[in-house]
Amino acid sequence: MLRSGRAPRILSVTELALLLRSALDSGVGTVWVAGEISNLKRPASGHLYFTLKDDQTQLSAVMFRSAAQVLVFQPADGMDVVVRARADLYPARGALQLYVESMEPRGLGALTLAFEQLKARLGAEGLFDETRKRPLPRWPRAVGIVTALHGAAIHDMRTVLGRRWAAATVVVRPVRVQGRGAAREIAAGIEDLNRLADVDVVIVGRGGGSLEDLWAFNEEVVARAIAASTVPVVSAVGHEVDFTIADFVADARAPTPSAAAALVVPDQAEVAGALARAEAGLRAALARRAGQARDRLRALDRRLADPARRLRDLTLRVDELGARAGRALTRRLAWDRRELASFGARLERTGPVARLRGASEQLDATVGRLRFAAAMRVRQARAALERTGAQLDALSPLACLERGYAIVRRGDAAGRVVSDAAALSVGETVTLVFARGRARARVEDTEG
Amino acid sequence: MADDAPKFEEALAELEGLVQRLEKGELPLEESLVAFERGVNLVRLLNERLAAVEQRVEVLLKTEAGRLIRRPLEDEEQ
Repeated sequence: MLRSGRAPRILSVTELALLLRSALDSGVGTVWVAGEISNLKRPASGHLYFTLKDDQTQLSAVMFRSAAQVLVFQPADGMDVVVRARADLYPARGALQLYVESMEPRGLGALTLAFEQLKARLGAEGLFDETRKRPLPRWPRAVGIVTALHGAAIHDMRTVLGRRWAAATVVVRPVRVQGRGAAREIAAGIEDLNRLADVDVVIVGRGGGSLEDLWAFNEEVVARAIAASTVPVVSAVGHEVDFTIADFVADARAPTPSAAAALVVPDQAEVAGALARAEAGLRAALARRAGQARDRLRALDRRLADPARRLRDLTLRVDELGARAGRALTRRLAWDRRELASFGARLERTGPVARLRGASEQLDATVGRLRFAAAMRVRQARAALERTGAQLDALSPLACLERGYAIVRRGDAAGRVVSDAAALSVGETVTLVFARGRARARVEDTEG
Repeated sequence: MADDAPKFEEALAELEGLVQRLEKGELPLEESLVAFERGVNLVRLLNERLAAVEQRVEVLLKTEAGRLIRRPLEDEEQ
């Protein structure tokens, strides 16, 4: 039903949409909105599409790539966030949409959240596994350092390295350690040092600072570069209490740059001590070894002297046996005499005189025979004794030498004993060993 | 010097081996003497190496073309 007069203005759909957009712009503008992310989509374009909702309402939202790529953390479904957004109408679909310019997680700070997220992700990938950690070289030829060229960290590290192990070259790869692009530079520094053949270990670090200052060491690109390094990497970021993702990936974590320097090289004072101990060990061992050899030589010398000593012992034994034989013989003779005397006495008591005379003569003869036999036995024993002694003398080379014989040895006194002239050749040197002393002689002629 | 450094490790390992062998006392006397002399020589060499000089400090720079250049770090750069 049309009425006369001023007809109402009729808008086109586009005009209405424009009107709404303008009203939203002036009436709402840019606002901070808290809500929960759901239905998050991340297409190849890099834009983020999601729904921001609370328990009663939901609004669709988009965060363009330019804004999304500076987020340090990863938005996810279910995450409570505060976004800075402009509400606008998307004319093609007639839908109300939030255009998100920035986003912060609620509760945790964005950096803290990002840290936890990356840590969880890389951890799940196994990048922090103990089995991936490589041992540090004991004697690095060169130590690579990725840090700022100016500052306390490089100064501290150079001081410690110079004091502990001047023999290692220090190669500094200067990088920015904070601010935009720092992480990329640090990662490139690690890669560059890996291309130097003599760099056996790399320290990556910086001095203390705020969480934001240390942030580069929490970025994935640095973690990946550390993991990809072919030589072990030691992280030394900030102070004792600061932990970064780099610390988890590194082969070793040092609480400070100075500590990292001490970790990668030996201490020359300690090594000098070890050398002194090694030298003392060498000297002691050699002295012991020489002592052993000397003792052995003495024992051998004693054994060499033995034959002469045995001969002396044998001679003494013969003398003693001779003495015992003599004593036994004397005893036996004395006993025989006593027997005889008692026999004579019995005869005198019992026999008649004639028989006694006859018996007396017989007795004289018997006593004579007995004396003779006894004397013979003594002589025989003596002769046997002398023979034995002579044999012993003959056995003794000393006795021979004493009689003027000499032992001929080939060459020096250690040479073989010569018993056959045919064994010698004209001109050969021989050693003559006498009872006392020796002489060297040259063979002029030989006769077989 | 950088190229000599691995020899330090080898020389130290050799020295440790010599001390051990000598301490076991199983070597013939002649060889003990040779081992001793070699060991004392190594100690002297290693000590000389330890007394070494000032540390060489270099800076690694990258050209626009991506080429790496090493040069000594001047102290005024710090």
